[in-house]
Amino acid sequence: MPQTRTTRLVSTVFAGLATIAVAGPATAQNLTIGAILELSGRFVSFGAHCQRGLDMAAKTFGDKVAGLKYEYAYRDVQSEARGVISAFGELGGTRHLNYVIGPTASPVVAAAIPPWQQSKPLWLVPGASSLDVENLAGQEPMFFHTYPYAYHYHKSMAAALRRALGPGKKIAVLYSDDAYGRSHMPAIEKYYIEAGFEIIVRESVRTNSPDMTPVITRTAHSKPDILLGVMQTTDSIALAKQIRTLRVKIPYLVGMAATQLQEWQAAVGEAQEGWLGVSTYLPGTEDWPADKTYPKLLPSTKDWEAKFDADYHAAPDYDDITCYANAAMLLLAIQQAGADDKEKVADALRRLDVMTPMGRGHFEPSEGTRQQAFADLLIFQRQHGKSVILYPPEAATGKLVPVE
Amino acid sequence: MEYLGQCAVDSILLGGLYTLMVIGLSLSFGITRVINFAHGEAIMLGAYGAYWAMTLWNVDPLIAMPVLMLLGGIAGYVLFRILFTRILSAPAANQILLTFGLGLILQNVALTLWSGDQRSANPAYVFSSFQLGDSTVAVGRLIGCAIAVLLVGGLFVWLKHAEAGRASRALAENGEAAVLMGINVNQMYAIAFGISTALGVATGTIMSSLSAVTPFMGFNMLVKSFAIIVLGGLGNVMGSVAGAFLLAFAETAVSYYVPNGDGWAEAVAFAVLFFVLILRPRGIAGQAVME
Amino acid sequence: MRMQASSLLRAIPALLGLALIASAFVDMPQVNDWMFQISMLIIVSVSWNLMASAGLVSLGHAAFWGVGSYASMIAATRLGLPLVGGVVLAVAVGALLGCVLALATGRLRGIFFAICTLALAEGLRVTTVMLPDQTGGASGLYLPQALQVPRTALFVAGAVAAVICAAASVWLARTSFSYACRAMRNNESAAQMLGLDPLRYRMAILAISAGMVAGAGAISTWYGGYLDPDVAFSMHITIESQIASILGGMYTVAGPIVGAIAIVALSEATRLGLGAHEGASQLAYGVVLVLGILFMPRGLYGLWCDLWAGRIAGAGKADDTATEMAR
Repeated sequence: MPQTRTTRLVSTVFAGLATIAVAGPATAQNLTIGAILELSGRFVSFGAHCQRGLDMAAKTFGDKVAGLKYEYAYRDVQSEARGVISAFGELGGTRHLNYVIGPTASPVVAAAIPPWQQSKPLWLVPGASSLDVENLAGQEPMFFHTYPYAYHYHKSMAAALRRALGPGKKIAVLYSDDAYGRSHMPAIEKYYIEAGFEIIVRESVRTNSPDMTPVITRTAHSKPDILLGVMQTTDSIALAKQIRTLRVKIPYLVGMAATQLQEWQAAVGEAQEGWLGVSTYLPGTEDWPADKTYPKLLPSTKDWEAKFDADYHAAPDYDDITCYANAAMLLLAIQQAGADDKEKVADALRRLDVMTPMGRGHFEPSEGTRQQAFADLLIFQRQHGKSVILYPPEAATGKLVPVE
Repeated sequence: MEYLGQCAVDSILLGGLYTLMVIGLSLSFGITRVINFAHGEAIMLGAYGAYWAMTLWNVDPLIAMPVLMLLGGIAGYVLFRILFTRILSAPAANQILLTFGLGLILQNVALTLWSGDQRSANPAYVFSSFQLGDSTVAVGRLIGCAIAVLLVGGLFVWLKHAEAGRASRALAENGEAAVLMGINVNQMYAIAFGISTALGVATGTIMSSLSAVTPFMGFNMLVKSFAIIVLGGLGNVMGSVAGAFLLAFAETAVSYYVPNGDGWAEAVAFAVLFFVLILRPRGIAGQAVME
Repeated sequence: MRMQASSLLRAIPALLGLALIASAFVDMPQVNDWMFQISMLIIVSVSWNLMASAGLVSLGHAAFWGVGSYASMIAATRLGLPLVGGVVLAVAVGALLGCVLALATGRLRGIFFAICTLALAEGLRVTTVMLPDQTGGASGLYLPQALQVPRTALFVAGAVAAVICAAASVWLARTSFSYACRAMRNNESAAQMLGLDPLRYRMAILAISAGMVAGAGAISTWYGGYLDPDVAFSMHITIESQIASILGGMYTVAGPIVGAIAIVALSEATRLGLGAHEGASQLAYGVVLVLGILFMPRGLYGLWCDLWAGRIAGAGKADDTATEMAR
C-alpha cells in the first residue's frame, strides 16, 4: 500500500475540514430562536406543520423584537435521536442559543433532553405527551411544556366516558410497542380504574404491523364495551380500517390525538364513524376572542383560521396553531423582558397571560411540570363525518352514541 | 384450539400480500444479481399512483393498476439502462448503495411533491368482509391475494413459454452460457428489472387501501422482504412464494397463540430466517445459485 | 515504495491522530461534535471494511453497535459502571457476539451472510422492544446524572478509540493477516487448501470488528445520554458504515477514514444548508451517493490515486478496475 499517497490525502482532507470549521458558521449578532424540528423522516408531518405556525407568527409579529432583529434557526433533526444531539450541540456552540422551540414527537423529545441539559436554553416543547419527558424535565425552570401529557388525555377521556356511560364498563387497551404506547400505560391504568372502569385486555401492537386481524379478533372475543387504541397516526389508520372491515362488535372506539387530524379522517374514510378523540384544538368548533392588548398578533380563532387559509390554502391542525401560539408568546415575553436575557424572558413568560387563538395562554403547574400551558382538552366523537364535542360539559355539542 | 379457522384465513391472506411484496424483488435478483434496496420505493410510488387516481379521478386502484404497472415497467427499464448497466460488474456493496441512494432520492422527492401526510385510498370493497364458517374474510385482502396468484401465475407462464422469459431463465441459470448463445444480456436484464418494478407498483396499488401511504412506507417492508427471499432460496420465484407463506403462517400463529404475540411476531421473521440459513443455507427451495 | 517514503511523511498519520485527539480540548462545540461524529464513523467503517476485505459483507453493523450501547447503558443504570468500564464491557460483549455469529453462520458467504447479519440486527431490536423490564424497552434508558462525565472526556475517548481502530487496521494490513483475508475474499476453499483455517480467521475478524463497533456504540451512548431500541439498532449505522467505506475506497486502509470524513462533511453540509426545507437534506445526500457510486466506483481514494499518478482515468478504465476488484 503506498503510504505516501494515503498520508497526503488524509492531511489534505483534514486541513480542508479545519478551514471550514474555523471559517464556517459566523457568529450572528441577531437574536436567534432555535427551531429544532422533524422536517424529514417519519415525523415530518408534525414538524412541517409546526414550521408553518412559527413562520406565520414571525410574519405577523414583524422582524424585530425588543429592538433586535431576530430569526429562527431551523434545524432538521430528521426524526432521529442523533439529529437532535447534533442540532443542540451545534446551535448551543455557535449561536449562544437562548431559546428553543421543538421538537414535537415523544421519542424525539425524549432523546433531546440530555443534550438540552448541557446548556439549558429556554425550551418550549409544543408536543410530547410522554410521561418520561415530564419525569426528567418537568421540574426544570427553563422547561415550558405547551401540549397535554398522557394523564391529561386519559383523565379527560375517562371523565367523559364515565359521564356518558356510568361505571363498570369493560375496556380493552391496544397500545403500540413504541415509546408512545408504552409511556401512556401508567396513566391509563390509573385514570380509567379510578373512574370505575375495568381493564380486561392489554395488548401491545407492533408499529407498522402488516395485519392487525389477530389482535383485533382476540380482543373482540373478550367482548369489551370500549376499545382504546393508543398508537400514532400510521397505526391508527390501519387499526380503524381493519376494525371497520372485520365488523367488530365493540360499541365504543377511542382513539388518541390522531382522530382529530384531517389526514387520519381522510385516510380511514367511512371507518372514522364513531371514533372518539382528544384534542386541544378542533378547527371550526371553538371561537376564542381576540386578545385585548395584542389583537393583531393574537386575533380571534375565526380570524386566525381565515388568515391561515389565506396564507397556506389549507385548514390548520393543532401543530400549526400550537406552534403559532408558542412563537407568539415567546416573542411577547422577549418584548416584555426588553433584552436578550433568558432569565428575564423566562420570568416574563411565566407572568404572561394572554388570549391566543387556541385559548388562554398562561403557564401553570401541572402534576409534575412547573410550567404547563394548553393542556385543556376537548373530547369529541366523529359522527356523520363531523366532530361532535362531548366534553367538557360546558362545550358539549352532542351526545355519545355507540358505533352502529 | 381456538381461532384455528381465522388463523388459517389470516395466514393465507397475509401470505398473498407478502408474495406480492417479494416476487418482484426475487425476480430481479434472480436474473440481474442486483439486490434492489429501492424496490420499496416502487411499492411506495405505486401506492401514491393508486391513491391519486382514486382521489383525483375517482378511478379504482384495481382499474388503475395495469396502467400504473406499465408506467412502472417502462420507468424501471429506462432506469436500469441508464444507471445499472454501469455497475453490473462492481462489488455487491456498491450496487446495494446505488439502489439505496436511489431509494433515498425517491422517498424525498415524494416527500417534497406530496408532503409527509399519511393517506389511504378507500374503494368501497376495502370495508367489506364476509363470513366463512366461523372466520371473517376481508375482501380487500382477498383481492390482494388473488392478484398475487394471478401475477405469480403470469410470471411463471412468461418464464416458461415466452422467448424473453426463457432467455431470462437461461441467464439466471448460467450467465456465461447465455452470452455464448447470443442473448443480449443488458436488454434482458433491463426487461427483467422493468417487470420487477411493475410488480412492485402492483403491490403498492394493493397496499394503498390496506395501510397508510407515506413517502417512507417502502423501506419498512424491505427488510422483511429480504428475509423472505433468502428464506426461499435467493432468486427462486417459487421458493419466495413458499417463504412468504411460511412466514405469514408463523407470524400469524405467534400473533394468536403467544401473549403479546403481535409484538413478538416481528421477531419471528428474523428468527426463522436465522435458523433456516444455519440449518439449510440455500433456503427452503434449496436451489440457490450463489457462489 | 514504503521503504522509500521519507520518515516525515510516515509520521503524518500519527500526527493527524494526535491532532484529532487534541481537537477534543479545543472549546468549539461544533468542531468537537463534528470530530466526534467523524471518530465514530471511522470506527464503524474501518470495522466494516475489515470484514469486507475478508469477503464478509455486513448488513448488520447496527447489531454490534446496539449490543455495545445496551451493555454499557444497562451496566451504568444498574451497577453504576463508569465510562471506561462500560466501554471495556461493551467491547467484550461485542466480541463475544462476533464469535457467536462466526460460529453460527459457519461457512455462509456473500449475500447469505449479509442477510443473516441484517436479520440479527432486526431480531435484537425487536427483542429489546419486547423485554422492557430488562432493557427499558421502547421508553428508553437515560444515563444517570451522577455518572455523567465532562463532554471533553467523551470527545477524547471517541478520538482515542478511533485512532486505536485506525492503527489496528494499519497494523493488520501489514501482517500476513491481510493476505489471509484476501485469500478468503477470493475463494474460501482455496484458502483452506493453502493451509488456512477459515473458521479461525472468521472468528478473529468478526470478534475484532464487532468489538470495535460495540465500543463505539458505548461511547456514543454516553455522549447522547439516552438509549432506545431505535437509536441502538438504527439502520443508519449499518448503511453509513458501508457508505463511508465505499465512498472512501473499499479494501484500502485509508478509504474508510477518508470516507468517514467525507460523509460527515456531506451530511452536515446538507443538514445545515438545506435543513429548513422538508426532505431536501436527505435528497441531496442521496444524489451525491448515486453520483459517487456511478462516477467514482473505487471511491475517493481511487480517484486520488488516479489523479496523483497523473493519469485521469476514463470511465471505461475505472470500470475495468472495479471489475477486477469484484473478482
